[in-house]
Amino acid sequence: MSEHVRSIIAIALSAAALVVIVVGLAASDQPPVNAEERVAALSASIKCPFCNGESLAESGSGVAADYRQLIAERVAAGYTDEEIRQEFADNFGDSFILDTSTSSWALALWIIPMVAMAAGVAVVVSMRRAAKESEEVTT
Amino acid sequence: MIAVLGNLAILAALGAAISVVVVGMRSQKTGDTQALRIPVGVFALAALTVFNVLEVAILTHDYSIAYVANNSADATPFIFLLASGWAALEGSIVLWGVILALFTFLVWRRLDVVDPLGVLAVAVMGGVAVFWFGLMATAGNPFSVCTDVAGGLCSGSSWWPLAEIALPSGGRGPNPLLQNHILMAIHPPMLYIGYVGFTVPFAFAIAALLRGDVGKIWLERTHRWSMVAWAFLTFGILLGGWWSYEVLGWGGYWAWDPVENAALLPWLTATAFIHSAVVQRRRGMLQAWNFILVIATFALTILGTFLTRSGVIASVHAFTQSGVGPALLVFLALVVIGSLTLFAIKARDVAQAPRLDSLSSREGFILANNLLLTVFAFTVLFGTMYPLIIETLSGSEVAVGRPFFDRAAVPLALLLLLMVGAGAVAPWRVATREVMWRRLRAAMAAGFIAGAFAVLIGVRSIAVVIALVLAVYVISAIVVRFATVVAARSEGVARAARTVVANDRGYWGGQLSHIGLALVAISLATTNGLAVRETVTIEQGSSALVAGYCFTYIEPFSIAEPNRDVTGVRIAVMDESCSETKKILEPRVNVYAGGSQPIGTPSVWTGPIDDVYLGIAGGSAGVVDLNVFIFPFQWMLWVGGLIVVAGGVLAMFRKPRSTPRASETVTAPEARNGDV
Repeated sequence: MSEHVRSIIAIALSAAALVVIVVGLAASDQPPVNAEERVAALSASIKCPFCNGESLAESGSGVAADYRQLIAERVAAGYTDEEIRQEFADNFGDSFILDTSTSSWALALWIIPMVAMAAGVAVVVSMRRAAKESEEVTT
Repeated sequence: MIAVLGNLAILAALGAAISVVVVGMRSQKTGDTQALRIPVGVFALAALTVFNVLEVAILTHDYSIAYVANNSADATPFIFLLASGWAALEGSIVLWGVILALFTFLVWRRLDVVDPLGVLAVAVMGGVAVFWFGLMATAGNPFSVCTDVAGGLCSGSSWWPLAEIALPSGGRGPNPLLQNHILMAIHPPMLYIGYVGFTVPFAFAIAALLRGDVGKIWLERTHRWSMVAWAFLTFGILLGGWWSYEVLGWGGYWAWDPVENAALLPWLTATAFIHSAVVQRRRGMLQAWNFILVIATFALTILGTFLTRSGVIASVHAFTQSGVGPALLVFLALVVIGSLTLFAIKARDVAQAPRLDSLSSREGFILANNLLLTVFAFTVLFGTMYPLIIETLSGSEVAVGRPFFDRAAVPLALLLLLMVGAGAVAPWRVATREVMWRRLRAAMAAGFIAGAFAVLIGVRSIAVVIALVLAVYVISAIVVRFATVVAARSEGVARAARTVVANDRGYWGGQLSHIGLALVAISLATTNGLAVRETVTIEQGSSALVAGYCFTYIEPFSIAEPNRDVTGVRIAVMDESCSETKKILEPRVNVYAGGSQPIGTPSVWTGPIDDVYLGIAGGSAGVVDLNVFIFPFQWMLWVGGLIVVAGGVLAMFRKPRSTPRASETVTAPEARNGDV
């Protein structure tokens, strides 16, 4: 088989598979999140009071179990995730909400690593540029 | 008596460590290795004695020692008694010290007869040991005798071994969570060997800087030590995750707890280091970067130790608060400031002209991976310290937890996979577009086909599909490369495969680790994205259906063991029609002597695809509330992790380079494999 044919087969197979993936994922609705999954996600995003920094999801303590039960009741009663989190924030303080995406401090938390990444990319690119210049000098 | 013996051994080890430093500094000019014979020998023996005396005290239940009284009990099973020797603050410092002593001894034994760099490196290790044994002699003394008893425990202790002793009636026993699973006896030593092992490349790096001998010799000489440390650290982290999964009952193996992060941080920088070290050895680049990485890795191991032992950050892993914390902080500051100052002074020697011929090359992709790994490490470090930073700056309390780390880690990890596939097959110096395409096109197709297959069988999680595409692409790229290189040889396939690997264990060990990493990535995606979690209430004799499995509550049971009372339920895991029993599971709740809260112990059945994970959520007579978790491809996480470790072990036995090898050379194999 020639190089050319191999490339065409690889491209054709990839393209066909990609179509299946995109169509499959787009056509079907994301499966509904069941109550247990919501409780699991919520308790992973709320810190357990008196539990050494564990979240409600991880802690094996009785307190955590009670609060997970409370979350399950709130979910069953039709509260939104935000309302449930707010209830915990009101009772214990914002620092008990592990999902920082809504806090005003969150911005720096995200921006600074991105700045670090950008700086790193700049260094790598400048390395290449410097190497290129020194090549031009030597040749 | 035993306190006297233990303290004498600590002082002997401390004295010997100091003499290792003094003698090492003095004889580094001549490089006379034999000068260190006695100091190093005495140091190793004394350190072993410290460890053994502590173990003897624990095994003989000598409750006059406060550590023994507060961390072990008569009824504690043997294996957990042994583990008590390092399961709490002071003991963990002893384990650290004895591992460091053994590393020092082994490093010394492998030195050349005349070896200025090696002698100085051993002196640096002695310097690190002076800190640890100094800590043992003071704030973290494991042999403090019990001088005050309250509630059966030692509430007061004195380092002076001949102080008047108050004898508690019996020991408290280890923390229940620590005696709930055999892995707790293995996970910490593995992790510590990894942690402490990075002292060796650090010591050689510092010695190289001190001597102004900044070439690649220190790297060549510490390759195997770095790989040992890296493999053990990987294994230790893996075991920690496994323990968490088997014991904690919430079905997870990683929680971004500050202390888990503390183990991950040096792993990330060390992983960057073992890659960039290859670039320096092969291409003479990244000399300065390697110094930075090895210093960072060592500093992060100290930071991790500080975080666990200072009470600064609330964590389930944290030990009790003590004077050890501030001492560690001072040591950390000394290490960071000292090493970086030294580095800055020698920076001129270290700096070199950049020689990056192309970003599309093996070194280019490794550089990209290094960047991603360090940004990953920085992000985890920043997120872990963020609450502290904000509290210090503004006084307000914030929490950074799983949601942030998950969101930050996933894109970085996926990018890493993309680069791993490309970097694994890229030639050094310059990888032309044609070469890369030829080597990756089949892998790309395989990845997309795997993703399409997953979608066709009903997977709807985008994260799972992306992870699967990238993981299969990485595995295929490596397998195709291996097949190509093997096929290019004239001998039989099996023999050719053996020769190819034997000729370049470093490279193929790395690729084996990459395959393991891809399997881990698949499992991380499926166990998070496709997990089923339900809580069902079952009466005795009846069944409940979850995710295609039928769970039948057979009967409750209870067992009285010497150190704990066990109550549990017997559950039959059956097929969907509730007719064929696949496995009997026994989730249980353990109550330990010492009056702690009950510890739930999940029961897990690993089937060909799913893990069925049962835990008791509650219940009453004849009824059980059962947490049923289904984790697809959970086993792949453990298997993949072990493959990562195995790759590290293979790479340990890299032969010193003599001739160019097929997998590494730039043009020759292309010409040869061009039409394959």
